[in-house]
Amino acid sequence: MQGYKKYFTKKLVWFLITFIVAVTLNFILPRLMPADPVSAITGKLAAGNADAKAVQKIYDRYAEEFGTNKPMWQQYLLFIKNMFKGDFGTSFSQYPRSVSDIISSAIWWTICLQLPAILVGWILGNVLGALAAYLRKGWDKVLLPITIFLSNVPAFGMAVTMLVLFAIKLKIAPVAGGYAFDQIPNFSWPFIKSVITHYQLPFWSIVIISIGGQAIGMRSMSIYELNADYVKYARFLGVKDRKIVGYVFRNAMLPQITGLALSIGTMIGGALVAEIIFSYPGLGSTMYAAVTAADYPLISATTLIITIMVLVVTLLLDIIYGFIDPRVKAAQFDS
Amino acid sequence: MKNTLKQLMHSSKFVLGAGIFVLILLTMLIYPLINPGNPLEMIGVGTFAKPGTYFSLYDAMDTKTETLKIADAEENRLTSIISMEDRVSMIEFLDKIGVDVSGVTMDDVDTILALWKANFDESAKPKGITNAKWRNYKTLNNRLSRIGKEERIVYDLDPETGEESKLKMIDGTDYVNIKEVVNTKTLPLGTDNFGRDVLKELVSACGTSILIGLVAGVVATFIGLLFGLLAGYLGGIADDIIMFVTNVFTVIPSFVLLILISYSIGQEQRGATVVAIVIGLTSWTWTARSVRSQVISLRNRDHVNLSKLSGHSLVRIVLTDILPYIASYVVMAFILQVSSGILSEAQLSLLGLGPKTTTTPTLGLMMNWAMLYAAHTNGYWWAYFPVILTITLISFSLNLMNTGMDQVFNPTLRD
Amino acid sequence: MKNNLLKKLISIVAVSAMTVSLLAGCGSTETAAPAAEPAATEAAPAAEEAAPATEEAAPAAEETTATGELPRNETLYFAGQQWGTVNSWNVIGVNQNNSMAIAGGASGYRTLMFETLYMYDPLSGKCMPLLADGDYSWNADQTELSVKIKDAAKWSDGSDITGADVVRTFDIGVEIGNGTGSTYGAYIDKIEADGKNITIFAKKNDAGQPVNPLFVIDFLTGTPIAQAAWIDTLYDRCGGDATAILNDPGEDVVWSGPYKKYFTDDQKVVLERDDNYWGQDASMWGSLPVPKYIAHTIYADNPAGQAALQAGEVDVCQQFISNVQDLWEKDGLPISTYYEDAPYGVCLTMPTAWYNMNLPVLADNAALRKAIAMAVDYDSIIANAMTNQSPSFADVPRSLMNPTDGEQALYDHAAVKDLQWAGNDIDGAIALLDEAGLKDTDGDGYREYNGEKISLNAVCPNGWTDWQAAMEIVAAAGEKIGVEITTLYPEWDIYQTVFVDPSQTEYAIFMWSPEAASPSNPWHRVNQFLGSEYVGIENNWSGNWGQYKNEEADALIKKIPLTTDEAEIKELYTKLTEIYLTEVPSFSLMYRPSVFHAVNESVWTNFPSADDGRNIPPLDCTDGYGIAALYGLELVE
Repeated sequence: MQGYKKYFTKKLVWFLITFIVAVTLNFILPRLMPADPVSAITGKLAAGNADAKAVQKIYDRYAEEFGTNKPMWQQYLLFIKNMFKGDFGTSFSQYPRSVSDIISSAIWWTICLQLPAILVGWILGNVLGALAAYLRKGWDKVLLPITIFLSNVPAFGMAVTMLVLFAIKLKIAPVAGGYAFDQIPNFSWPFIKSVITHYQLPFWSIVIISIGGQAIGMRSMSIYELNADYVKYARFLGVKDRKIVGYVFRNAMLPQITGLALSIGTMIGGALVAEIIFSYPGLGSTMYAAVTAADYPLISATTLIITIMVLVVTLLLDIIYGFIDPRVKAAQFDS
Repeated sequence: MKNTLKQLMHSSKFVLGAGIFVLILLTMLIYPLINPGNPLEMIGVGTFAKPGTYFSLYDAMDTKTETLKIADAEENRLTSIISMEDRVSMIEFLDKIGVDVSGVTMDDVDTILALWKANFDESAKPKGITNAKWRNYKTLNNRLSRIGKEERIVYDLDPETGEESKLKMIDGTDYVNIKEVVNTKTLPLGTDNFGRDVLKELVSACGTSILIGLVAGVVATFIGLLFGLLAGYLGGIADDIIMFVTNVFTVIPSFVLLILISYSIGQEQRGATVVAIVIGLTSWTWTARSVRSQVISLRNRDHVNLSKLSGHSLVRIVLTDILPYIASYVVMAFILQVSSGILSEAQLSLLGLGPKTTTTPTLGLMMNWAMLYAAHTNGYWWAYFPVILTITLISFSLNLMNTGMDQVFNPTLRD
Repeated sequence: MKNNLLKKLISIVAVSAMTVSLLAGCGSTETAAPAAEPAATEAAPAAEEAAPATEEAAPAAEETTATGELPRNETLYFAGQQWGTVNSWNVIGVNQNNSMAIAGGASGYRTLMFETLYMYDPLSGKCMPLLADGDYSWNADQTELSVKIKDAAKWSDGSDITGADVVRTFDIGVEIGNGTGSTYGAYIDKIEADGKNITIFAKKNDAGQPVNPLFVIDFLTGTPIAQAAWIDTLYDRCGGDATAILNDPGEDVVWSGPYKKYFTDDQKVVLERDDNYWGQDASMWGSLPVPKYIAHTIYADNPAGQAALQAGEVDVCQQFISNVQDLWEKDGLPISTYYEDAPYGVCLTMPTAWYNMNLPVLADNAALRKAIAMAVDYDSIIANAMTNQSPSFADVPRSLMNPTDGEQALYDHAAVKDLQWAGNDIDGAIALLDEAGLKDTDGDGYREYNGEKISLNAVCPNGWTDWQAAMEIVAAAGEKIGVEITTLYPEWDIYQTVFVDPSQTEYAIFMWSPEAASPSNPWHRVNQFLGSEYVGIENNWSGNWGQYKNEEADALIKKIPLTTDEAEIKELYTKLTEIYLTEVPSFSLMYRPSVFHAVNESVWTNFPSADDGRNIPPLDCTDGYGIAALYGLELVE
């Protein structure tokens, strides 16, 4: 157990330190912006108000309430303290709604969209990549350039193209949103059906893009393994082809898991932009709204949540990897 | 070096990728020579003019005409005034107000017209017809008045007296040669929301975006290389510290960092170069990681040890004994950085965090404006689709080159 | 020690992993929607509780919740009004972000759920009685205004609407400083009630005259009346704390309008018709509004809303749609606007470029100000930024008035004819600058003032596409007359921090829109253009953003509210227009509707249109007198 313990402890400490750095960056960076968000709320309320002195009063009230008149370090401590209570403050643009409230309603749309999409993309990509490596020639010649091409379409480009093609031209998919315009959320078949139909375009646009990169990686790894000495030796020994392929596939998978862990951050970036194109009610759209409205508590919190999501997934993948990777296993036997 | 190039030229993927990329570069260089001028000039007063060749109607009037008797000209004209759909909706209307249309066929334009003229009254909107429909009928009715007119007259207006004098008769069979019209303008990709020539803007934007990619790539590769070399070669505490920073920044999604930094810089400071540098600053970790692992495998090789024993300086060892061995790898990483830099700019711009607007066109900004003006839902494909295609092609060509190089440098991957 | 730490860490991971999986569990069910269901059913009992009289409505609500589908032919869908999620239903609070129920539009209050005493009609400039019975009346010196409330007017809980409700609405506003209090507190001294009759006492200045009677009338059309009994409940609940009252979500609110809350979440807000609405009485509308539901999907941005309109998922769209005519001319969609041809809608305001008088070069040179304004190609701006949804300055010559007939009649067109300009007059502008001695002496192509190159910036917020296009055209005009003008598009939050700062010197020419239409206009707008009342005030969201001062104008502006003679008013406005066009402290770039109004007639029809003889203003069927449209809607056959 010692080996695992050491491995996981190390990973965990990493996780924590990274987390602290991320939190600090999330706090500091948006606040460097040379603008006064309190003025924005005041403006919304005061537009059309003829009495200018009354407006000043409103302004002072908000400055006090948001604590923007306090020194930065005090704001930081408060931020940390509240964060552990799950309180990310009040949104500026949707005042007086709390940021946690906004995020908690958006986050599940994003998780339910992106996690399955990335996983399906990863699995399909790996199967295609392995196939390409195994079959070579014909498949390889045709499939590889196509997958490279598709994987290079930017996420928003794929989203726009699919939107125009399927929703606007062919009219077989909805244009925007998480469920149909004439539905009210409830546990009924028409509603669930409309959630599913609205799910298709965002889902497949992410899947198609992530297939390519994974397939290319898997193909390379598989070819590398297929040419490895142990395979030649096994062939020489007359081990069945099927069994060899099994080994090859397993060995090639390992770096692919690390690859997924490392690239998940990049993937989410692109997928968030895709959400905006489909007006999908997830974190991407929330972030877009926050950026346009210069709502920095909301920006901080969305980026932080995304970071945490990526951190958690990375950690989980690391743990899985630890169980599969023979080297970590070996380390365990060593001790 | 020569040998490597020769090898690369044998890789079909590399050649295809390099070919596409060079083609894009050539277009960027040559097109501004053919079509010079400010790419941001707003030539169209309206928005989203369709792609095509435009000729000045004003000048066409003064151009010599030829009389051409073309068989289906009349027919074409008629269908442009009264299409099949128009006929259907006319019959629908007639039916609605109680006219007997049972025997009327679609091809029987004369009967439909006669019935229409007899029954349509512009001043009396029948009940149960929507405003939208009614207005369509009225415009249709106006259009119908053109039917059967053989000639049209052009009047000249005296700016002083306001008097009109007959200038010219235009016959249905008059044609002008488009080459003889003094002013024509070809807009292969139409205009955008500002009335700018999209192709011209696209070519210029493509240049800026590639430049952004290059700057980002240089910055990222430089930092990554430096950190990777130091960590790998020095080992020990230096390695620990550098790898600590690298790991932290690998896990925090670079896209998130990009958003945060771009946001905090603020619009005014956010020029194309600044955006490029910021992108570079957030994407070096990959390079650092892999350079480090390559260096570690190199640092105990015999030739490096020999150099060390000969008392060569660190800089010299790195430059002569290590760098050449990882050069191919660094070039490949650089190419990927360039392509992801271009993509990052586009994504940032779509979020409204791209380079400062109106001074430089970039692919991301073009996309952003097209989206803001709902070009995609309105069918103005020329405003956004070429942009997506360009980004894809640049990125595709770079990645193809990369794959080709990979196959050349890692013989096990060769076909 | 080390082991301990390790255990702790592991337990933390275990716990957090559990939390994550737990949350994930909740999440997946939440997405499958039951989370929203309680919200809907919660709304129904709340309604029941608040309104025992509407027993019938509550079961109906449940029934629809069960199927979860709003019947298309009983629902009127909107776009372009509600952005982001509804925060509260507290009509006397702040930041409700509840545009369908609580929104003082630029040209009339949205009276779907809460009602004002009068509805404003910007087409005729008249106030139509809503809660009020007949016209209001002033006493001789305009210090006391009397209004009677309709006998039929009732709250949703069945009780009578009385003068006491109006009094309490105003008093609580002043006490806690909400919109009503801060807007009208300076002009209304107090309100007294006697049963259904109320008297509003205007605040008086030192001379014993009313401060501004026009704003007293604004109160009648701009303040939603809340129920006194409900205000008391809320007051007690919050212990009288002003901030708590302002931020209370007001779930138990009592309303008087024809619609009530039905459902809200992140993606939509739905109102349901209150079938016990008092207004079906013959003394008001004589019937209920036609649609049973009013629904507004919350779209991410304009393109999404527009796509929905095109798809027939939206009936009424309050969004600027570029080239709106393409929707029917090119795409053949059943979409129409108020006018058949350009400008398609009724323009009530004029986005304006303001000169910053803190900059000496602008403050000292009226000629420079006028020259730039003359050189700008407004036709391009109107064609590009507004895609011709604005009359040109040749059609409606520039003045202080919006293009409605009512306001245009308020000044003498002939008297100022020579001062007006339609734009793109490069030669005239150059002559003016040369004459004023602003010449290019060092040959760099740009003119100098006091030996320094005149270099200005033209600023508007980033992403405000139509304004950005306009600023580009202003910059181009500068280039043509030898004045360097560069464009600058800061993010909105920076922009609004700077332009409301009375001492800023960062923006030279910057954009903002003056007031649109209300009983206090055009006076209010004129005061924003020329009045020094707003000069030097911190966080100035109120007016005169360029800090222009002119005593003569001030004197004229002060006179107008107290003048009742129409000829005299016209003379005063004409003089002010003269000053404005000579001094050019700002220049309008286009005319613009205060609400856009495009309708899709695939389900509903008989929306207001210019030629239908009903004179219902195209205010989205919701604002001011525009709500009358809801009573005339018909289903498409």
